[in-house]
Amino acid sequence: MGRYISRQLASIIPTIFLSVVLNFILLHAAPGDPARIMAGMDSASPEQIEAIRVKLGLDRPLPVQFWNYVKELLQGNLGQSITYKQPVLDLIMARLPATLMLTVTSAVIALVIGTLLGAIAAQKSGKPTDTALSFSNYALFAMPSFWLGLILIVIFASKLGWLPTSGMRNVRAGYTGWRDTLDVMEHLILPVATLALVQIPIYFRVTRASVLQQQREDYVTTFRATGLPEGRIFRRYALRNALLPTVTVFGLSLGFVFTGAALVEIVFAWPGIGRMTLDAVGRRDYPLLLGIYLILAIAVSIAVLITDLVYALLDPRIRLR
Amino acid sequence: MSQLPLSTDAALASTVRRPSRFMAFWKPFMASKMGPIGLAILIFVAICAIFANVIAPDGPFALGAPRLLAPGSEGHLLGTDHLGRDMVAQLVYGARVSLVIGLVAALISLVVGVIVGSIAGYYGGWADLVFSRITDMFLIMPAFFLIIIVVATLGSGIMYVMIVIGLTAWPASARLMRSQALTLRERTFIQGLKALGESSPRILLRHIIPNGIQPLIANASLDVASAILIEAGLSFIGLGDPNKATWGRMIYDGRTTILTAWWTSVLPGVAIIITVLGFYLVGDGISYVLSPRSRKVQA
Repeated sequence: MGRYISRQLASIIPTIFLSVVLNFILLHAAPGDPARIMAGMDSASPEQIEAIRVKLGLDRPLPVQFWNYVKELLQGNLGQSITYKQPVLDLIMARLPATLMLTVTSAVIALVIGTLLGAIAAQKSGKPTDTALSFSNYALFAMPSFWLGLILIVIFASKLGWLPTSGMRNVRAGYTGWRDTLDVMEHLILPVATLALVQIPIYFRVTRASVLQQQREDYVTTFRATGLPEGRIFRRYALRNALLPTVTVFGLSLGFVFTGAALVEIVFAWPGIGRMTLDAVGRRDYPLLLGIYLILAIAVSIAVLITDLVYALLDPRIRLR
Repeated sequence: MSQLPLSTDAALASTVRRPSRFMAFWKPFMASKMGPIGLAILIFVAICAIFANVIAPDGPFALGAPRLLAPGSEGHLLGTDHLGRDMVAQLVYGARVSLVIGLVAALISLVVGVIVGSIAGYYGGWADLVFSRITDMFLIMPAFFLIIIVVATLGSGIMYVMIVIGLTAWPASARLMRSQALTLRERTFIQGLKALGESSPRILLRHIIPNGIQPLIANASLDVASAILIEAGLSFIGLGDPNKATWGRMIYDGRTTILTAWWTSVLPGVAIIITVLGFYLVGDGISYVLSPRSRKVQA
């Protein structure tokens, strides 16, 4: 087990390094000059822009800039944000909890509901229940997350007035303590519902296919021959084995959730990483963007590794070496 | 001479009995639950897109009405937006953009995926190692953020959007093609061809790829769907092609008027859902044809 983890970690590092190189080249090779944006569009003189460029180190050749960046990176320094004038790591850490709250809650809810519906559909395979569930599942999967969020705001916040339209807390009320927690939870409902709804189809499809496959396995036929009740075969054996692939999908979908959350964060004015990323793109804030992408790459890699470990714990046939 | 009628009879019988390749696909496809519905949807959307200039001869940006109009009023079937532009016109021209982007991006992803995946799977070894490193990297890098960066920096013309979406989607089809090539290369007929001295590129092109490509076609249909969704997302955050009417931008524009005029944002969203759903359902139908369950229908 220990050897497996260290070997996997060793294979993650070159992958992450490769993605850092790719992001760096993409960002710096592209047109759009952060120095010009910082100086202001029309009034800056060429000398001013040049001064900013020297200050940021943008005047040096690309390989030198890259080498400096990697050197700082190895010391745990992600650099300074150009627009916020704050350390990148601090900015990311300040917004990470808000995004995690959205993504993890919605992913867990989608996992539970999607798996449940998938199992039901597989049990009723070929019957109208299955067809109806599969069709609505496709329809849900076809929905753009930002559009769904907009519609939910219109219905539940603007028309019915049940829930707040946007933001993370009611700033004007200035709640503290448990009232503040309740306030944040109220604001959380609509964005989490949006993200959960668009993720349900992922788990639905995997579970349905996986249960159907398990029901064709020899051991199920054997149980049937011994006269074990169908419901018991399903609950105690087929379903348990069928749940394994959903674990993998849960780990892999984390990257997707982050990007999906970015659009939903914009719709709901949620103060998370996604919104900061899109702002940073617009302002060509290279250090901030590189930092976000790096943290994201590390987070997803570790999530995939943990998924592998959980998988091995659940499935005794798998030995990790 | 007496043998001739017999052989033509036999030839005739075989042509009658053996259905064409198209029919072998078509019959089980139409027998699937989802396939025909999806096909009908796509034909409708395609007709809207192809005849966009007939349906709306003034183009999507013509300022017809003086103001925001409800559906059905003053000759505007689905109303107008906040600038008085006809909704139908924008929707049908938006269909063009979505279909072109979806199809071209999926084609790029398919071609790159087939080439890379078949080489990695067939040759193995060093090529396979490089391949798995690269696909791992795509796995941990959120594609949408990557697309945003490229489009934001290189420009948001429809050309860039298509190419970038295609170039970030290929690892999934490459992984499929790789596993196909891995199983195919062990098959007797490939081993036989090798023994006969057939060159490797020839085996790849003439035998591995044609025999292994089927599951990738179902996957390509899903690629079209996700490309359409990605493009809508890009347009929504203002990174779509500024010279084109797109569904994503219509949703964005309608955001401000949605409380007084629901149709401005709701209709383009429905258009996206219907089109994407069409591709999903067609993909479902194709997978059904390829699955062993459908053999009963084929026989």
